[in-house]
Amino acid sequence: MTQGPDSTAGASTPAVELVGLTKAFGDIVAVDGLTLDISENLFFAIIGPSGCGKTTTLRMIGGFEEPTSGTIRLHGEDVTGTKPYQRPVNTVFQSYALFPHLTIYENVAFGLRRQGIEKSEVNRRVGEMLDLVHLAETSRRKPRQLSGGQRQRVALARALVNHPRLLLLDEPLGALDLKLRKEMQLELKRIQQEVGITFIHVTHDQEEAMTMADSIAVMRDGKIERMGEPVEIYDDPRTRFVAGFLGASNLMEGQITGSDSVTLTGGHRFHVSADKLVGLAGAVHVGVRPEKIHLSPEGASPAHANRLAGVVTDSSFIGVSTHYLVQTELVGELTVVVQNLGVTRFAPSDSVTLSWDPDHTFVVAR
Amino acid sequence: MRARVFYRTLLGLGIAYLFVPVLVVVAFSFNDFKGRRNVSWEGFTLRHWADPFKLPGLSEAVLNSLTIAFLSALISTIVGTLIALALVRYRFRGRATTNLLLFLPMASPEVVMGSALLTLFVATHVGRGYVTVLLAHILFNLSYAVVTVRARIVGFDRHLEEAAMDLYANEWETFRRVTFPMIMPGVLAAFMLAFALSFDDFVITNFNSGSMQTFPIFVYGATKRGVPPQVNVLGTMIFGVMVIAMGIFLFIQNRRQKARD
Repeated sequence: MTQGPDSTAGASTPAVELVGLTKAFGDIVAVDGLTLDISENLFFAIIGPSGCGKTTTLRMIGGFEEPTSGTIRLHGEDVTGTKPYQRPVNTVFQSYALFPHLTIYENVAFGLRRQGIEKSEVNRRVGEMLDLVHLAETSRRKPRQLSGGQRQRVALARALVNHPRLLLLDEPLGALDLKLRKEMQLELKRIQQEVGITFIHVTHDQEEAMTMADSIAVMRDGKIERMGEPVEIYDDPRTRFVAGFLGASNLMEGQITGSDSVTLTGGHRFHVSADKLVGLAGAVHVGVRPEKIHLSPEGASPAHANRLAGVVTDSSFIGVSTHYLVQTELVGELTVVVQNLGVTRFAPSDSVTLSWDPDHTFVVAR
Repeated sequence: MRARVFYRTLLGLGIAYLFVPVLVVVAFSFNDFKGRRNVSWEGFTLRHWADPFKLPGLSEAVLNSLTIAFLSALISTIVGTLIALALVRYRFRGRATTNLLLFLPMASPEVVMGSALLTLFVATHVGRGYVTVLLAHILFNLSYAVVTVRARIVGFDRHLEEAAMDLYANEWETFRRVTFPMIMPGVLAAFMLAFALSFDDFVITNFNSGSMQTFPIFVYGATKRGVPPQVNVLGTMIFGVMVIAMGIFLFIQNRRQKARD
C-alpha cells in the first residue's frame, strides 16, 4: 500500500483529481476528457445510463483500466499508470467478486495478509469489521452459503478492513431486491459517516444516488453533463438529458424573452429566477417537476405566479399521492403529482388551473 | 415391473460388456497353466504374482512407461495451462491459428501422427528412443491439456483477479492465491488425462521408440510368443491402482459435497 509522500499536503487537497481523463476502446471513446475534483470525505455518486462511461471512469481510478490520456491524482499523488495494488483504494465490485474457495474470514483478511500485517492485528481488524457489518457468526462459511445481502456486506467489509482513504463502489446494490436495496442504502450511508472516508459510488439508479450522495455527477457519452448536490441538480438540471434522467419533468418549448422570463411558443409568459437563465439564450425548454405543480379549481385564485389552464384527463390514486394527467391547450399533456392531504380531489373532465412557483421553474437548452 | 426387470438386465449386460474382459485378465493372472499359451483355465496359483518382474525387460518397460507418462503429463499440463490462459484471456495475432493447430493432433489419426513424427526425426537425424517418445507424448497430450484447462478458465470471473489486485496482491500472488486454486480442478483433470493417454499409447510410441520399450510395446511384442502371465499380473495391478485412485477421488468429492450442504 502506497501512502503518498505529500498526503499531508492539507485538507484542501481533493481526494481525487481527474485531469483530462480519456479512455478509448478502439474507435469508441468511453470517457472523453473528464476533469473532476472530488473532495475528501464526500459520498460522491456518478450516475448515467449504461454506456455513459461511469464504470470505465471508476475502473480507471481503481487502476483496472489504463487511461488513453489524462492524469489521475489521489490525495495529490499522481497514480496514473500504477497497478491496482499500488493504490490506497479499495473496490466493491458489482458481482461482489468474493473468492469462492476461501472462507468469509479469509476473504476479509485477504488484503491485510497481502500487506503483511501481523496475525493478531489481522484477527482483531477482521473481527471488528465482521461485527460492523453484522456477519461475525458467518466467518467460517464459504461465500456460496450466504445470501445476496450478506455477500454484499462481506464485499464491503473486505474493502473497508484495509482502511482505504477512498472506496469505489461499482453498482454494489444492483443485484439486491428492492427492500434489501433500501436497507443497504441506509446502511452504506451510515458506514460512510462512521468510517469517514471518501466514497465514489457508480450507479444507474438516480433515486439511489439522490438518497445517499452528498454530490452527484451525471454522465453522458463520456462527459459530465451536470454536477452538484442532489437538490441543486434536481431543481435546476440545466440540460434536457439531466432533467429526464433525474426524476420526471414536464418540459414546454419556449424562448427566453427577458432576464427573468420565458415565453412559450404559444405566447404565454412564465417567470423564472434569473440565475437559472445564466448561460442560456434563445430557444429553450421550460420545465417543472410534477410534484411542484399546484392544482386549483377553475375560477379559484391560483396559489402561484406561473399559471396554465387545463382539463384533467386521468387521475390515479397511489396511496401517498395522486397522479393526474392534465391536458392544456398551449403545451399538451402535463403530469401532476399531488400529495393526498385530504383537500379537493379532481376527476377526469374537471377544468383546473395549474400553478407553480417561479423558483420551481427551470430552463434547459433546446 | 416387467420394464424394471428388462432395464436391470440391460444394465447388467452393459456392465458385463465393460468388465468381463478385465475380469478375464485378472483371472488369468492366477492361472496355473503348463503349456506356452495362457488361454484355458488349468487351476489356481499365486506363482506369477510372486515375482512379476522376472521377465527380462518387463520392469524396464513399465518404468519407462511410468516416467514418460509422468513427465509428459507434467510438462504438457504446465504448458497447456499457460496456453489455455493466453487463449482465453488475450486477443493476439495467431490466436485462431493456435486454436486450429491445437485441434489437429486430436483430429488426425494416430498412424498419421506417428509416421509424420518418425519422418521428422529421421530427416533431422534424431536417434529414436526415450527422448523422442517423450517429445511425441508431450505433443499429443498438450492438445488435451489445453482443452481440459480451457473449459475451466472460460467460466472464470475476471473480477476475482481484479479483486485480488485491488486487495494488494501483485500479479504472482494473484495467480497463486486466486487464479490457480480456482482452475486447480481443471489442471488436475488435465494431468490425469494426459498421464492415462501417455501410459497406454501404442501407435505413436511404436513409430518413435527405436529399441526402447514401453509397457504397451512390450506387451505387444510378448503376444507374438503367447502372452506371459506377468502381463496379466501387471495389468491387474494397474487396474487395481486405478480403482483405488477413483475410490479416493470419489470419497474426497463426496466429503466436500457434504461439507458444502
